[in-house]
Amino acid sequence: MAVDSTGVLAARAKGALRSPVTFSVVAGLVIGALFLVGTGADPLAAYGAVVTGSLGGDGIGATLTTGTSVLGLALALAIPLRAGLINLGGDGQLVLGGIAAAVTGLYSPLPAPLTVVLALLAGTAAGAAYAALAALCENRFGVPLLVSSLLLSYPATSFASYLVRHPLKEPGSSLPQTRRLPEGVALPAFGTSTVTAGLVLVLLAAAAYWFADRRTAVGYEIRMTGLNPRFAAYAGVERKGLTLRLMAVSGGLAGLVGSIGVLSFPYRFLDGSLTAPGYTWTGLTAALLAAAAPLGTVLAAFFFAVLQVGGLSMERTTEVPRELTQVLQAIVIVFLAARLRFPRPRRTRGEDRDPGAPEPPTPGSAVPGSAAQREAV
Amino acid sequence: MTRRPSDPPAADARAAEAGAADGAPAAVAGLPPAVELRGITKRFPGTLANDAVHLTVRRGEIHALMGENGAGKSTLMSVLYGMERPDAGSILIDGREVSFGSPGAAMAAGLGMVHQSFKLFDSLTVAENVVYRAEPRRFGLVDRAAARRRVRGLAAEHGLAVDPDARVGDLPVGLRQRVEILKLLHRGARTLILDEPTAVLTPAEADALFTVLRSLTARGRTVILVTHKLREVLEASDNVTVLRDGRVVARLRTADTSGAGIAAAMTGRDVELDRVHPAGTPGEVVLDVEGLSTAGVHDVRLSVRAGEIVGVAGVAGNGQSELVEALAGLRPVTAGRVALRGGDITRASATERRAKGLAYVPEDRHAVGTAPAASVADNLAMGHHRTALSSRRGLLPPSAVRAHARELVGRFGVKAATPDVPASSLSGGNLQKLLLGRELAHGAPLLLVEQPTRGVDIGAVQAIHDELIAYRDAGHAVLLVSAELSEIRGLADRILVMYEGRVTAAYDRPDADETALGLAMAGGAPAPAPGTPDTPAPDGD
Repeated sequence: MAVDSTGVLAARAKGALRSPVTFSVVAGLVIGALFLVGTGADPLAAYGAVVTGSLGGDGIGATLTTGTSVLGLALALAIPLRAGLINLGGDGQLVLGGIAAAVTGLYSPLPAPLTVVLALLAGTAAGAAYAALAALCENRFGVPLLVSSLLLSYPATSFASYLVRHPLKEPGSSLPQTRRLPEGVALPAFGTSTVTAGLVLVLLAAAAYWFADRRTAVGYEIRMTGLNPRFAAYAGVERKGLTLRLMAVSGGLAGLVGSIGVLSFPYRFLDGSLTAPGYTWTGLTAALLAAAAPLGTVLAAFFFAVLQVGGLSMERTTEVPRELTQVLQAIVIVFLAARLRFPRPRRTRGEDRDPGAPEPPTPGSAVPGSAAQREAV
Repeated sequence: MTRRPSDPPAADARAAEAGAADGAPAAVAGLPPAVELRGITKRFPGTLANDAVHLTVRRGEIHALMGENGAGKSTLMSVLYGMERPDAGSILIDGREVSFGSPGAAMAAGLGMVHQSFKLFDSLTVAENVVYRAEPRRFGLVDRAAARRRVRGLAAEHGLAVDPDARVGDLPVGLRQRVEILKLLHRGARTLILDEPTAVLTPAEADALFTVLRSLTARGRTVILVTHKLREVLEASDNVTVLRDGRVVARLRTADTSGAGIAAAMTGRDVELDRVHPAGTPGEVVLDVEGLSTAGVHDVRLSVRAGEIVGVAGVAGNGQSELVEALAGLRPVTAGRVALRGGDITRASATERRAKGLAYVPEDRHAVGTAPAASVADNLAMGHHRTALSSRRGLLPPSAVRAHARELVGRFGVKAATPDVPASSLSGGNLQKLLLGRELAHGAPLLLVEQPTRGVDIGAVQAIHDELIAYRDAGHAVLLVSAELSEIRGLADRILVMYEGRVTAAYDRPDADETALGLAMAGGAPAPAPGTPDTPAPDGD
């Protein structure tokens, strides 16, 4: 058993090193270094600034705060992605969660600690309901989820924007924001940092996702649906119900992140403050990088939080603009997408065909790029 | 695996090769072979797909390339057609050494390939498809009139009658294949490679195809027929090259050989072809279908009893898949009634049907029956994950999944290194054993099986047939859909024939001779009396 498990571990480590994820991250870093050399900067100094700026004593708090939001949204997008569903409406669900939490926090008659709990629940429920609406659009009317979730996002952000500019606007302020939440209506923070109990909530969500994915029947059904939806349907997994439930969970997590954002600094809903940092897209990137696997999603979310926070400090301490980190993020995804186009390049059996795959009839161009790809990875 | 010393077929092959060399009928004196592959070696990580393969195809012959799945046929043709680069060896076309970087280059050298899945635009006409990417032009625009003339000319010249203005999507499969062949002729292909061309054809359509191929070779073109079907090799080819495990194990003159000889070469041992199993002893009715209709299926009535196998014969695409999907709960029923063990399941979901005692081996192992990227263990758990393997609270312990996998792998002889390897790493036969084992393990009173041995090695076919017979003899009902007549005749106790969505003929096994079945499959069965479309002769046995 012990021998067996070390063997499995070794095989896993080997697999991880050879995986396209490692390849694309390393390729991203190398190409980023080339950019830096090309512009006359010192890549080691720049990367060093990213690391010290994000993981050093001054930066770790900001990294964990950013990481809370990035991880929350990465999970929100990874959970449906595990079943092959893409929720592009993270922004809308995030903002509705935030506004629901803000309204609850401002008007709840309950004592402050209960109000916090209620605001978290309200934010989660708002996000879940809104994402479920996108799922219903697909289930009932055949609107692809990708489209319905993305398009529903815009009215949600606009609606929140309207609320904080008119009915909920802080009297006398020039900013489009609500009043500050009453004293005590806030998530407990760790010491004097900006890191709140929200991080714990998000980590608990990640742990729950890991458990469900590995050890429950429903997690198994989700994985199989992602790997082959027709296989899951054949065995009786009911797709519409699964879509609805997964989207509700996904939107709920996005809404939770929104309410965490409102219940920590600046303790109010400020128009654009939830969406401007691009957590939704960074989260989607992290989920894609990890192929929605639970542990991988956590690692990838942390990696991107480091890049995001470290990029700022790199800009301060070196001449390198922080946009470099966005370039890195983009390169990583481009390399990953290349893998998505040629799956499993390791083994190409001569007689293997892809039955049922609707190939476009393009005589002459029907060349699987397998040979080149095999060498590339 | 010391193959070579104890290998009678290889010895035969050498003898036959010598024979073929002096008396080669199709060789035109003095001309180099149309295609010659010398010592082609192609290695993929973990597999040697082609091991120093020599293949000589003379101009004007029909040359069959045979072998089981995984023997290296497709790799060899990919190398020839410029889709893969060989690690070693050379390719000669008409005696000149060539090296193709792409199928385009191979086409320019006069090669053309008809793939197993056609590459046609359904919404375009025949003429448009034929001239695609080699269009006759006039003032920079496509000259449609010239395209139609060209198609008519080619069709008349080669006996490939087809209407140039018909939409390809409206054509039956046999005619679509003609369009593919016309496409190659239009581009001047002198050597045509056909990959498993008869997989989708009726026996009559296949005969028509072979007539066309004969007329092509009579006009000096050359045909390479890639296939695993013995019968058509014997009927249509001049010479045969047999591959096994990436090597050439036999080169035979078709006239000098028999089906058994080729089968022995393909598998490396003697194989009992077309075995007929003893009949079952039917009990009470398990599946009862009354007037079932769904898209592509009209008014089907049938019943399957415990302890019997009912075979549904027919050419692919005549409603068999739709019928089985409707029975499995994957396709809505528009009319009629389905009862399983006396209980109505017409509107039941797939899950409910499984709970009531139905298991299902679908036709498409890769796209429906498994998740190839998932592990063997995960693939074996499907369907059992909510019942035997999970606890009350919906927990699915990985240890239970693995133990279940180990048990089934052992019981059904699936060759998998560990339960953790992806199912995609299994051969076709092993994947089918996995799928069959998983469904048999339910012990469901009714088993639906589609094409259980398609693409499966001859060696594994017997094992799969034995499993089905054992399952029947254990008192279960089996509905078997197969396009292989010999399989249906060997296994089924009763045989139904489907044509254009209807059951048009029904036979008890002793009455079902090949000619009658072939005729019924082509739609030639006498119209059954209305009202009793598909019931077997009442208690005919």
